[in-house]
Amino acid sequence: MINTAHRIEFFPEKCVGCQLCYKACFVDVIRWDPEAKKPVFKYVSDCEHCFCCQAVCRKDAIRVIPDYSSEHLLQSFERYA
Amino acid sequence: MSFEKKSLNCDILVAGGGIGGLSFAVSIKERMPETDVLVIEKQTAGYSGKANKGGGVLQYFDPEKVQPIDFLKLHVKEIGCYLGDQDMMLRYVAMNKEMIDKLSEWGVSIPRDENGRYRVMPTGPMTAMIRADLDITVQVRRRAEKLGVRFMDKTALSDLLTDGGRIAGAAAFSIIDGTFYVIQAKAVVLATGSQNYRIGSMWSSGRGDGIAAAYRAGAEMRNAEFGNFAQLAKVKSHHEVVFGENNMYNAQGEFITRNFRKTRETDISSTAIREWYVQMKSGKGPIHLEFGEGHPGPGASALQDRLRDQSYGQRFREFNESSAAEVDTDLEVCPLFIGEQSPVCVGHDMQTTVAGLYAIGDCSYCGSGAPGAVPAPPGRNRGSGILNAVFAALVCAESIADSGLSDGAKVDMAQAEACRERLFAPLERNEGTSAKEVIALVQKAMAPVEQSVFMSKDRMELAMQYIKKARELSGKMKAEDLHDLLSCHEAEAMVLSAEMHFFASDIRKESRGWFLREDYPDMDNENWLKWIIVKNVNGEMTYTTRDIPIEKWPVRP
Ligand SMILES: Cc1cc2nc3c(=O)[nH]c(=O)nc-3n(C[C@H](O)[C@H](O)[C@H](O)COP(=O)(O)OP(=O)(O)OC[C@H]3O[C@@H](n4cnc5c(N)ncnc54)[C@H](O)[C@@H]3O)c2cc1C
Ligand code: SF4
Ligand code: SF4
Repeated sequence: MINTAHRIEFFPEKCVGCQLCYKACFVDVIRWDPEAKKPVFKYVSDCEHCFCCQAVCRKDAIRVIPDYSSEHLLQSFERYA
Repeated sequence: MSFEKKSLNCDILVAGGGIGGLSFAVSIKERMPETDVLVIEKQTAGYSGKANKGGGVLQYFDPEKVQPIDFLKLHVKEIGCYLGDQDMMLRYVAMNKEMIDKLSEWGVSIPRDENGRYRVMPTGPMTAMIRADLDITVQVRRRAEKLGVRFMDKTALSDLLTDGGRIAGAAAFSIIDGTFYVIQAKAVVLATGSQNYRIGSMWSSGRGDGIAAAYRAGAEMRNAEFGNFAQLAKVKSHHEVVFGENNMYNAQGEFITRNFRKTRETDISSTAIREWYVQMKSGKGPIHLEFGEGHPGPGASALQDRLRDQSYGQRFREFNESSAAEVDTDLEVCPLFIGEQSPVCVGHDMQTTVAGLYAIGDCSYCGSGAPGAVPAPPGRNRGSGILNAVFAALVCAESIADSGLSDGAKVDMAQAEACRERLFAPLERNEGTSAKEVIALVQKAMAPVEQSVFMSKDRMELAMQYIKKARELSGKMKAEDLHDLLSCHEAEAMVLSAEMHFFASDIRKESRGWFLREDYPDMDNENWLKWIIVKNVNGEMTYTTRDIPIEKWPVRP
């Protein structure tokens, strides 16, 4: 998908800087801030709502909030465009 | 903008750290421990790719009940429709247990019963499945690291470098700091996955840039017209409903599955997708699914409950399912175009037509000829995606170990420099089109199923208008940063894949298996027991056809 409007909530106080979410993101939404030792959710409009970052985070520091209406199936009938 | 340039060396370069690339890396180290193996991965090897985003289902053949020839007969008649390489399919089935044992040995968690045997769920008279935990790729990466395989993450292969028709190495770049790498290698193994055009969420790593690099290097492509997989998905969450095609109803409450299917089939068919389109066009939509009272609902959820793993995979599924359940108030469905073009042509040794360049897994599944007239994976053959990647990896490692690595080829620095200039051009432009504009045009051509799945000459021409525009704009893309540069690189590959799809689809004047043309509705064994081979000749897309050697195989029309 392109130009999605999924949101990601991040709770820095819970984060222990393990980098797993950064590794888990398969489409480069998440970058790593080496100074702060925290993830940066830099390219959120490319997020595919896969939930991998949330699933690997054992500290519950990430919440993915999909906006399914921002994904388009692109079929020709208006209802599905 | 200027970035550092670095030269690197290795014996074998693997591009792509999904299950295919990782399995190859482990297997070649087991056979040739002294070999210097380098894996470059665009994202993070072990986490990226697809094997950890799906069902983790592994197809299982009980050797006591199923002979490879029996499954072959079923597959050739019902799925591959005589277009598959039967030698490859036989070998794939015969290696089933060996592959699953290997995964287990490499640390992948596969549930077992109290007697230590794999927990197997029968799914049909000949098929069964077992399930691997979704940390499968992390485990295989760990194994590879233990064996001394080197990894470079966030490093994307941009081009293949050749020397007189032989592979010499590859060009790659860091998506984090822009370093441009020229990597000299005796062999290169492409394990970069298929083309999915960034439409289906979970399939989004399949962006076809490895396929495009092989095409530019002159490698042949086969079965490019079988890159048009689609699945029924719920309209609100877009989550796929596997096997939903058996329960389709139109707005008048008519059971429309019966229009395209008399008995249960192995999996979704393109005729189900066609039926959706025909119903919608005649004003009988929307289409929804209905399941009888007491039915567990869509998908194979009863199986899933029994085999459900407890760890990462369970968290992954639960987050996805519970979030979708919040919006899925009904069972209205429509097609989700997935694609899965996997056309890099390889022989029985997994070598492409460029000497020293190998291609495994999703980037060469259809190109290997094995599945026949069906986009793969899943290729109407659930649980064959991961195992095909492992199969191709093992076969590739065996063939390299048997033939040895040849030295000779040298990287031509002028060729590498030309690749660098082309790659970075979007960062140099002050203005231009965005990668997403180009991708959106490709999606407009590929996603509507009457253009790409239920095809006809006039509808394909319409689609080609979008592709033509996308091609024009792709030469003028502007990238804002390195993340965007990667998107430009991928957008170009999407244009190429779509071009190949329509180019080859226009040539195949019949319908066969998954491949459906409204203007040529019948299977034509007289004229079309042929593979279409697409090739880049001096920048021109050309084709030849190759007769299928059906006479030497056991199952014939
Ligand atoms: C939702 C879903 C469900 C599925 N369910 C199942 C199932 O239950 N059972 C089953 O058997 N199969 C399933 N599959 C299919 C299976 O996951 C794939 O067939 C298999 O994982 C393919 O492995 P691969 O290594 O060939 O490709 P991929 O997993 O696609 O890996 C390719 C890797 O190459 C990287 N890459 C791409 N381009 C470049 C580049 N230019 N440079 C460097 N790296 C690059 C990618 O980032 C990626 O990590 C499913 C797939 C999906 C998406
Ligand atoms: S996975 Fe969780 S704890 Fe680890 S870096 Fe990411 S947010 Fe922090
Ligand atoms: S949900 Fe998936 S795509 Fe989105 S940021 Fe997390 S890992 Fe990346």
